[in-house]
Amino acid sequence: MTPHSPGTDQIDTLLQIGFVAAAIVVVAVNVALLYAVRRNRAKRGDVPSPAAVNSRRGQFRVGAVLTAFAAVIFILSVIYTGKARETPASGSAGLAAAKSAPLTIKATGQQWLWRYDYPNGSFSYYKLVVPVDTAIKLELLSTDVVHTWNVPDLSGKRDAVPGKTNKVVFLADEEGEYTGQSATLSGQAYGAMRTAVEVVSPQAYEEFLKQQKADINSAQDRVVGLIKNGEVP
Amino acid sequence: MSEKPRPELVIDGFPGKRRPRWVELATSADHKDLGRILIAGSLGFLFIALVELLLMRLQLAIPENTFLSPVAFNRMLSLYGTDAIFLFALPLILGLFYYVAPLQIGARGTALPRLGQIGVALWAMGGLVLYAGFLFTPSEAGINPLAPLSELAFLSNNGVDAWATATGLATLGFVFIAIDLLTTLRNMRAPGMAWRRVPVFSWAAAVCCWLLLTIGPVLLAALTMLMIDRNYDGVFFADGSGGAPLLWQHLSWIFYSGAYMLILIFAFAAIAEIVAAFSGRQLANRGVVMGSLVAIAVLGTLAWMQNMLTAPIGIGWMYFAMLMSLALIVPFGLIVFNLIATMLGGALRMRAPLLFALGAVSSISIGLAAEIDHSMVAAAWELKNTTDSTAATHFALIGGAVFGGFAALHFWFPKMTGRTMGENLARISFWTMALGILVAFVPLFFAGGEQGEVIDAYKFFNHTGVNGYNLTASIGTLILAAGIVMTLANAILSRVNGPEAGHDPWGGESLEWFALSPPEPHNFDVLPDVRSAEPMRDIRDAIAHRTGSTEAPAQETQPVA
Repeated sequence: MTPHSPGTDQIDTLLQIGFVAAAIVVVAVNVALLYAVRRNRAKRGDVPSPAAVNSRRGQFRVGAVLTAFAAVIFILSVIYTGKARETPASGSAGLAAAKSAPLTIKATGQQWLWRYDYPNGSFSYYKLVVPVDTAIKLELLSTDVVHTWNVPDLSGKRDAVPGKTNKVVFLADEEGEYTGQSATLSGQAYGAMRTAVEVVSPQAYEEFLKQQKADINSAQDRVVGLIKNGEVP
Repeated sequence: MSEKPRPELVIDGFPGKRRPRWVELATSADHKDLGRILIAGSLGFLFIALVELLLMRLQLAIPENTFLSPVAFNRMLSLYGTDAIFLFALPLILGLFYYVAPLQIGARGTALPRLGQIGVALWAMGGLVLYAGFLFTPSEAGINPLAPLSELAFLSNNGVDAWATATGLATLGFVFIAIDLLTTLRNMRAPGMAWRRVPVFSWAAAVCCWLLLTIGPVLLAALTMLMIDRNYDGVFFADGSGGAPLLWQHLSWIFYSGAYMLILIFAFAAIAEIVAAFSGRQLANRGVVMGSLVAIAVLGTLAWMQNMLTAPIGIGWMYFAMLMSLALIVPFGLIVFNLIATMLGGALRMRAPLLFALGAVSSISIGLAAEIDHSMVAAAWELKNTTDSTAATHFALIGGAVFGGFAALHFWFPKMTGRTMGENLARISFWTMALGILVAFVPLFFAGGEQGEVIDAYKFFNHTGVNGYNLTASIGTLILAAGIVMTLANAILSRVNGPEAGHDPWGGESLEWFALSPPEPHNFDVLPDVRSAEPMRDIRDAIAHRTGSTEAPAQETQPVA
């Protein structure tokens, strides 16, 4: 992933810390194993000293080191998780209307598509369009089974569970298209359940909303007209 | 071994076989027979799981492959996960515990043999039901079928019912076996064998039985609710009618987290026995290792929400899950430290059981290290449900159940059959498996951690930067499977053709090496008073003291006690 949101910046740092911690564990255990095997491989005539090492103080020391290691990881995780959860403030280049509160968009997962409902009543499927440099709050819901909203560059994963709202907060710092794929098995076409976030300028965003609204209205009018004429679509 | 007359034994005057051997085996309530059925059966299911894994990896070898249809892939996935956990890992572990633990504590059988027999039968029924699902249609809902996908509204064929029945039968069987084994461990230990003198492996058996008695009923309850939902218009996991989809996640993850820990507790206990035996020393800080195994059971199960860090639960619960998961570093670290401390004073005989045991430690270390990242809340938001978690889980659980299970199998095979497993084939198998697991799962760390490839998907898309990783992983899985099949073949061949082992091939320190190989139906004619955690060492010392020989006798001579 390439972080493009303040939240994912923090997550990226935490991932690097996690990688270092994991590397320390893997290297420490495996080097110690190899060392023990090389040094203590039985040669002809070797007689092991059978008595057990029982050192209570030694165990306390090892335990203390391990506890400290775990505590450091815990504290760093809490710090960076806290930062990653913060709702960012919209920047000067962002949507003017979203200065005080994040722009709230409803994201509804359904088998096997995402639907996005914008504040002005228009909606889009598959692709979410958001203004750049603007704090966005996605309210995740599901109409059927559990889905996971997952656009790695912009935010961590969050589950959309029926009957329980979850939320995702992000602020895209660069225009462009970011893709993602749902991450919880949701039935047959799960592997093809993708989504995209298109980050555009605030003007283009307003333009998109207007166009989308007009398109939806004209499509609805056409359907209503067809029904009135007796032609069932 | 020379047969000496044993006039005190009723068994000498016993009439010969009255029924065919397989009938005797299938109707036996003896813990050794049941243990052998569990072990042999679970290794058979391991082979089936490998076939399913290979089919899935074949589908994922190239991007946007159409070798398996999405539905077929989901079925393979559901069967593979259920087979690997409920039909292979847990029964293999219970089988080894069930065979070895009563011998280790000097019991002449188990306390409630019929209960154990029913348990094994229920597990076999579970396996039958799962694969009988092929006759109509297997489940498509995944390894842990999250509600509401598992509800009738979304999967209306009988696949999920078959899955729930199979899983429920097997779990009920495990609970029965656990009750029998726990009763045995509590009530039938040899005179003088206080809990502090119980061998680590039998101690782990007790811990795992308690764990199963805790988590098994939770899963059984969840499965019952699922069946009510599907067949009797229940609403336990249905949203909008007072039910909660998240309830299923909580209940099922309590079981799966506990089962994960059970596999690792078994593995580390077996490894501890093997490392001590092949170093020729006592285990360093036995008490600390035994305490750590208990801590793993408690903390690991309490960390169930580590699997739900992306679900709509409060951030406080997420920190709680992270705290429990990270706290596991301490007991796991202490165990590994003491294993290495044991090795450092000893003279290591690098035989097959030790090789597999050390491979298990190495593999588990990679898996658990990756799990650290999956426990760090915000990092988990990126890593969860990517192939990174596939790799982490497989390193830990293949390390525990396959490498650890094979280590235990090689170690106790002589006791079960009277023959050792072929050493050369074991070595070739081990190095093939070690190469295979690295080539198969390290690429998935990169595919998931860097490129965010999602888990459980029937295909991946071209131009997402994961083509090479997936192809390598598929090749690696083939290598891993070849290595595993070699050990399965080795076990089958060595049962009849292996070199004869005698009753104590490794110089073990616990009482199972005091019995004949394979043990008599009643295990022991006579038992020594246990005065320490290493009764066999005491016997050897006493004999050396009296006769100048260090050869410890099997039970055909009177023990010196």
